[in-house]
Amino acid sequence: MKNPLFLVYGVLVLGLSTFAQYRGWSFSRINQQKVLPKSIRDNPGAYRSTYGGYSRYIGGK
Amino acid sequence: MAASLVSPPLVKPKSLACPNCGAPVQLRGFAHTLTAVCPNCLSVLDATSPEFDVLQKFQGKERVQPKIPLGSRGTIGGVTYEVIGFQQREVVVDADFFCWEEYLLFNPYKGFRYLSEYQGHWNFIRPVSALPVETRHASKPAVSMLGRTYVNFDTVRARTSFVLGEFPWQVRVGDSVLVMDYISPPYMLSSESTDGEVTWSLGEYVTGKELWQDFKLPGSPPEPSGVFANQPSPYQGKTRSSWRTWLWLNVALAGVAFLFTIFSSNRQAFEQSYTFVPGTKTDAAFVTPTFELTGRTSNVEVAVHTDLSNNWAYFNFALINEETGQAYDFGREVSYYRDSGETEGKPNDSVVIPRVASGRYYLRVEPEMDTKAYTPSMHYDLMVHRDVAGYAFFWIAAVLLLIPPILTTIRVAGFETARWRESDYAPTGSSGGGDD
Repeated sequence: MKNPLFLVYGVLVLGLSTFAQYRGWSFSRINQQKVLPKSIRDNPGAYRSTYGGYSRYIGGK
Repeated sequence: MAASLVSPPLVKPKSLACPNCGAPVQLRGFAHTLTAVCPNCLSVLDATSPEFDVLQKFQGKERVQPKIPLGSRGTIGGVTYEVIGFQQREVVVDADFFCWEEYLLFNPYKGFRYLSEYQGHWNFIRPVSALPVETRHASKPAVSMLGRTYVNFDTVRARTSFVLGEFPWQVRVGDSVLVMDYISPPYMLSSESTDGEVTWSLGEYVTGKELWQDFKLPGSPPEPSGVFANQPSPYQGKTRSSWRTWLWLNVALAGVAFLFTIFSSNRQAFEQSYTFVPGTKTDAAFVTPTFELTGRTSNVEVAVHTDLSNNWAYFNFALINEETGQAYDFGREVSYYRDSGETEGKPNDSVVIPRVASGRYYLRVEPEMDTKAYTPSMHYDLMVHRDVAGYAFFWIAAVLLLIPPILTTIRVAGFETARWRESDYAPTGSSGGGDD
């Protein structure tokens, strides 16, 4: 084996990507709110989303 | 036993007086010596004449000190050699002088060998009796000998600029020979042509450190500078090996990705169709029915498929655990435009939420659209899938795995470029040399 360091590096990369996939890691931007009141089920409009208030135009030509 | 046979006896060298200055001149090469140089006045003497005739008086300005002193003994390849001669040779390239040094080694059983040194790079050289065959290699002139091909590196006219010790040939300061070097690292095959005579010798690259150990010299050898013609590449064989390793790692990566594709459950936990009418007075936010996410802690994909056309929508989502109240809050923009056959964006979108524990969940959804009156309503489907296979990390891993072989390839190319920069075939933009 002429590239033992590469092999170690490769196995690490492979292992990390497998672990990330197994644990369900994601690049999506998710804001995890710890605890929400149960009243949201009855009054969903009362909850202010972190990403709410979207009023600007982004897409389109 | 073999070592004792090739180890010369410690006999006292023959000593004569220099006819020019009277200083003692020692002869270690016995009957082989044709020319000797007085260590005091540097006159070149004819060792074959009874009177030690002076062949040439020293005309130079500077005395060169050999890095390995004359009389030093060292064992190379199990054979003990004694340094009996030293010469400095030079070439002129574009008005620049390049010098290298040659040491004549002698063993009474094995004969003569040579050591050459240029900028800390050493070669152990032996004469060859076989005649190399001319050939070509990668558009360069080459010679072939004993199954090995040596590629032409340079052709220079070398001039002897300083001599010391004794030599088995008629040496003179100012002697000129045409030297052609052919390389096949760690070997260098060289021809030296004078009028009507061509001699071939085979050099093998050795490190100064090895020689200092072989000759038990004090201190340390000069540090090598640059890359020498036949210097073995430290990356020898590593390019192919690293790409082979890369290939196997990618096969393993593809195998792991395939296993995830097979074993990811990709269970649909929820699906529902909705319609959103922009500009209505009622609150757009609503919650979905509760659904079950089962299995180990893994990802959840929330996908939205709309019928948007030349429009945009924004969704505020929250995936909420009914029992604990834990929520994953995120927003997604969906926009899709098309005009004259060109499109921009997509009417569908999805997001993968990492590490969601099992339990009962529901979605809080709050769609938004342009509030202008003519904005049409939007129909959309919401889908939730549990434990979906994703390939983003594997693509990243594939890119990361490319780095080592690419770096190795660049290093190998850099080393070879530095090697050939000093040759007659210097890459464009480099100055050719011929300075070894």
